[in-house]
Amino acid sequence: MDTGDPSTQQDGQKGWQTLAVFSLPSLAGNERQAMVLVEQAVDPLCLPVEKLDRLKTAVAEATMNAIEHGNRHQADLPVTICVLTEGNRMSVEITDYGTCGPIPAPETPDVEAKLDGRQTSRGWGFFLIEKMVDALEIHGDEAHHTIKLYLYLEGRADQDLADCSGSHE
Amino acid sequence: MNKVNLHIAPRLAAPGVAVIEIAGEVNSFAENALMDAYMVASGQGARSIVLDFSGLKYMNSSGIGLLVTLLIRASRQNQRLLACGLSDHYRQIFELTRLNEAITLYSTEAEALQAAGA
Repeated sequence: MDTGDPSTQQDGQKGWQTLAVFSLPSLAGNERQAMVLVEQAVDPLCLPVEKLDRLKTAVAEATMNAIEHGNRHQADLPVTICVLTEGNRMSVEITDYGTCGPIPAPETPDVEAKLDGRQTSRGWGFFLIEKMVDALEIHGDEAHHTIKLYLYLEGRADQDLADCSGSHE
Repeated sequence: MNKVNLHIAPRLAAPGVAVIEIAGEVNSFAENALMDAYMVASGQGARSIVLDFSGLKYMNSSGIGLLVTLLIRASRQNQRLLACGLSDHYRQIFELTRLNEAITLYSTEAEALQAAGA
């Protein structure tokens, strides 16, 4: 399943620079740790606060999905998170051990339907992820699920990414 | 990592108007605390309830689901929910989810209380 700008899907990992790779046990609440670690990893990119907040929310929701639905809260199954950058964009890839094959598009939440009982009160996670990032891809096979979150860095493609910590707008 | 990192304090701000101060993390672990605070506010006769998010550090999709549940309960009791103190990021999330159509947003508690008729 792909959504967003297809230009993000053309060159695979070619040219991408890895900023961080880490794994977390599938324990409820570890999405907060994922947020912290991704925030640290992207510090050299000097994301504006608004964009950083959106990235953190998307990462947290995707990590929660990986823990709950992919790895089904089995603590010994890790969620692996890879933070990459290339040109004027960055990506966070979140992989779990979901074995359900391709992930169907979820129901779009509707607050009115939820308030009158036609939808459950939950089910906001994927909706939030979609709204927080510039593009995303979902890949699934018999062994893994991976969601790739993309954000554009806006004007940072040719700049030196070093030495800009602490200069968030 | 501590799963419950939340402080919720309900208080009656004026006759029929309660404020629930929410500080910390609103996630699935917040359900009991949030619903207990709502029961306390309701027990005090609140017809309008202001959710003060000034101390909010983190809210995820489970937390949004809890707010929908709270809205359903309040609606059944003919109560009105208002909110204040949201950061720009969470105000945007309220708008994206259209929660702001059911929970009117105000910048400050004073503005929310005035709107609630306190």
